[in-house]
Amino acid sequence: MNKWEVFVMDMSELAEGKDIELSIRTLNAGLHKYTYKRVKCQVSAKQDKFPDSLQVRMGRGQLSASKYSIKVLEEVQRMPEKYL
Amino acid sequence: MSKISAPKSNREFIEACVKAGDAVRIKQEVDWENEAGAIVRRACELGAAAPFMEKIKDYPGFSYFGAPLSTYRRMAISLGMDPASSLPEIGKEYLKRTNSEPIAPVLVDRKDAPCKENILMGKDVDLCKLPVPLVHDGDGGRYVGTWHAVVTKHPVRGDVNWGMYRQMMFDSRTMSGAVFPFSDLGKALNEYYLPRGETCPFATAIGLSPLAAMAACAPSPIPEPELVGMLSGEPARLVKCETNDLEVPADAEIIIEGEICPDYKVEEGPFGEYTGYRTSPRDFRVTFRVNCITYRNNATMTISNMGVPQDEGQLLRSFSLGLELEKLLKSQGIPVTGVYMHPRSTHHMMIVGVKPTYSGIAQQIAQLAFGSKLGPWFHMVMVVDDQTDIFNWDEVYHAFCTRCHPVNGIHVYKNTTGTPLYPYATPHERKYSIGSKVLFDCLWPVDWDKINDVPTLVSFKNVYPKDVQEKVMSNWTAYGYPEVK
Ligand SMILES: Cc1cc2nc3c(=O)[nH]c(=O)nc-3n(C[C@H](O)[C@H](O)[C@H](O)COP(=O)(O)O)c2cc1C
Repeated sequence: MNKWEVFVMDMSELAEGKDIELSIRTLNAGLHKYTYKRVKCQVSAKQDKFPDSLQVRMGRGQLSASKYSIKVLEEVQRMPEKYL
Repeated sequence: MSKISAPKSNREFIEACVKAGDAVRIKQEVDWENEAGAIVRRACELGAAAPFMEKIKDYPGFSYFGAPLSTYRRMAISLGMDPASSLPEIGKEYLKRTNSEPIAPVLVDRKDAPCKENILMGKDVDLCKLPVPLVHDGDGGRYVGTWHAVVTKHPVRGDVNWGMYRQMMFDSRTMSGAVFPFSDLGKALNEYYLPRGETCPFATAIGLSPLAAMAACAPSPIPEPELVGMLSGEPARLVKCETNDLEVPADAEIIIEGEICPDYKVEEGPFGEYTGYRTSPRDFRVTFRVNCITYRNNATMTISNMGVPQDEGQLLRSFSLGLELEKLLKSQGIPVTGVYMHPRSTHHMMIVGVKPTYSGIAQQIAQLAFGSKLGPWFHMVMVVDDQTDIFNWDEVYHAFCTRCHPVNGIHVYKNTTGTPLYPYATPHERKYSIGSKVLFDCLWPVDWDKINDVPTLVSFKNVYPKDVQEKVMSNWTAYGYPEVK
């Protein structure tokens, strides 16, 4: 199980039942903790729906009490090819 | 030969601080995740010695130095002065040195540049190989740059800019940073690179000599490499980057080289800020792609932890903003007696002392201050007369509460340049850096009759004849009072 975290301004950004795109950061222990990935994913407010956990923080870093689960479908490359 | 003997590197500075009792060596292991940040924060809030953390979890061979210039004592040490120097003495020395002849930097060979001792290129580049700290719990990321200089060169004019713009680690090769549009780098990006779709070479230097760091966050028009020379009395030692034409401080602990991608932005923030809050919204900000990392053996990463007063965000910035405004006002021939920002104002209030020799002088001061390059960083100007001690808040506060006319003395300026960091600003104002400003004119109006209209200050110094004052002072202990220092 991987642990992820996301920052949102509004909980409606975590729409359920459809594929969405998010910037999530890993909370797995190790040197890369807190680095981000842009992903296509599905999320759920039910903690046991998807294999990975998703912790939520609001816009100024406040930890939300809601715990989500997440299924990462694929990594999304936002960066223009010329910079890769 | 220079008479100044200021620390020439971060290492010399740490040694000088330890010797003076202004830094402590922490031998036990410290976690990069929150613990190091919490130590620095507590040291700032207590006004304690700077923590030199010699052992970092997961990162053998690296160390941290926190809160480098969050006290006036350490500021005096950085300038090679007696640590007990008073603030006006430190200010006078800063003005003397920064009004002297510019001292050009020297370029050294890479074999003489300690920052080249280790080099990571290509697939080896990974910011996570550096002990990038999570400074505050709940920050948007681990911050690489909290006490550093982002080095760039203007593509047309060729002048070099070192700016302290915070940088967050987004992933192993990407950083995002708060480069505001009114900053030197922000202007170069928006005026040149963005329209052309070209990348802007940069180098981030971490673990600088304290005077190089001071120059990077000083709002001075003098190019920073020369300013460092003027502050330290000798040429700054620079070395060429590995992957671009920029020159960086040879004795810095860590150098991160790369390119700014002007047309591609990733999320940055939130982050603890100098106002004592997390205010600016998490937003898509300037993106830095990393191509190369070089660092010294046993490199020390520097950490400034911004939050409630006082850290270098308030102390150092208040110091240099105030003194740079003093230079500007004097250059315009205004009879100012001094300018001071109290660090607790989180550099939001300029207190200006002036000889009120003509009408409208307070407005002239405010308009110059707000209209200058320094203007976006503060929103209050308070003008007092030359009889008021600007460093004594009790006197300034008394002048404000008694002389500032609620209608005639308060002037509001709307729709000015602001920053997203102002806690009182509306969400819309923060998003678009819209500001507003206020002047508190605490001068007696020049058209009041000096004898009949201007009230008399009733103080020991002002109402008693000199001989009575002297008699009372010399008899003070004889009356039974303890000596007054
Ligand atoms: C610890 C610290 C952090 C700072 N972070 C930022 C920042 O993230 N963005 C910014 O625009 N200015 C920041 N500043 C202020 C700039 O360093 C300062 O405005 C400097 O003069 C920038 O130069 P420029 O305006 O000439 O570009 C910071 C200052 C300090 C002391």
